[in-house]
Amino acid sequence: MTGPLTLADLMGRALDAYDALTTLGEDVEDEWTYVNDLSTAWRERMEAVSAARGAEPVSEPIAGAIDGLVDEVGRITDPHRAIDWLSTFPQVALIAIGEAP
Amino acid sequence: MRFQDAVKDARAVVYAGIQADPLVARAATLLADATPAQRVLARAVMNGETTDTDGWRRMFPTLFDEGDPARTARSAAILDASLDVAERGEQVRSQFRGALVEELTAILLARRVPPDVIRRERRVLFDGVRAEVHPYDVTVERAGAAEVYDCKWGARGINADVLHQLDDARVHATEVDEPIRVALVVFDAVRSCEVRLAQQTAPTAGTTLVALETLDRLATRPGAAA
Repeated sequence: MTGPLTLADLMGRALDAYDALTTLGEDVEDEWTYVNDLSTAWRERMEAVSAARGAEPVSEPIAGAIDGLVDEVGRITDPHRAIDWLSTFPQVALIAIGEAP
Repeated sequence: MRFQDAVKDARAVVYAGIQADPLVARAATLLADATPAQRVLARAVMNGETTDTDGWRRMFPTLFDEGDPARTARSAAILDASLDVAERGEQVRSQFRGALVEELTAILLARRVPPDVIRRERRVLFDGVRAEVHPYDVTVERAGAAEVYDCKWGARGINADVLHQLDDARVHATEVDEPIRVALVVFDAVRSCEVRLAQQTAPTAGTTLVALETLDRLATRPGAAA
């Protein structure tokens, strides 16, 4: 039997999607350093929230928000669009869980 | 130091049509009184793949909470306007997003300075200095208290050319004892802008960054001083 979904579980899903977005953004060779610096900066922020609040159970609307966000970035195939979302994705995810970006 | 309208080439004429589109004013007016989270909603939708209203509502549960009808109504209006931009197609929406940041900047500035001193697409000229080809997006033209703004949709738009142009204006103005404040307005998070700025070798010390979280400073602080 599994326990309630926690914020750490949810952020784990978000970070997996974020890693895929980073890999897609790396296809823009001229922006490789920016992509990775940006990804590192936001990953650290999301990981810090997960470390601080990871044990909290999450409500259905919050889980739905992150799942919706993961679905949204899963549609992206253009690496330039992926770079836009390397900044946007964490902001949306953090707002969904009640954190300031 | 003096200001001058930019040359109206073909690109400028097309872009002027975008700037004049009522959708730009509608979205900018809504975003001028939006919370940072509502501004992120607009950014996400205008960058997004899906145009499904319910999908976006699902991604922003805190903005569509039935316990706060006023916030939900404004969020819904912002979502509608943002979807209208997103549905224009990739190339056109890119132009709309740029025009939107400029319009939003002008609206917020007009809460602090008289609207007639706020101008768009202007060059700054100095005697003996070759004029920049590209105009500044928004200017506040007041003797002794001029302000110059370049506007970007995302942090990735920050580049050496933009930073040099802003800093050149500041340096030349200082040389003629007419100091101006120069700022970069970016509709993106401070964190992303700082990552981008850290990669630049162009001068940044004299340029103020106004990011998505600090946009409201345009309405209260000269040059959006930090």
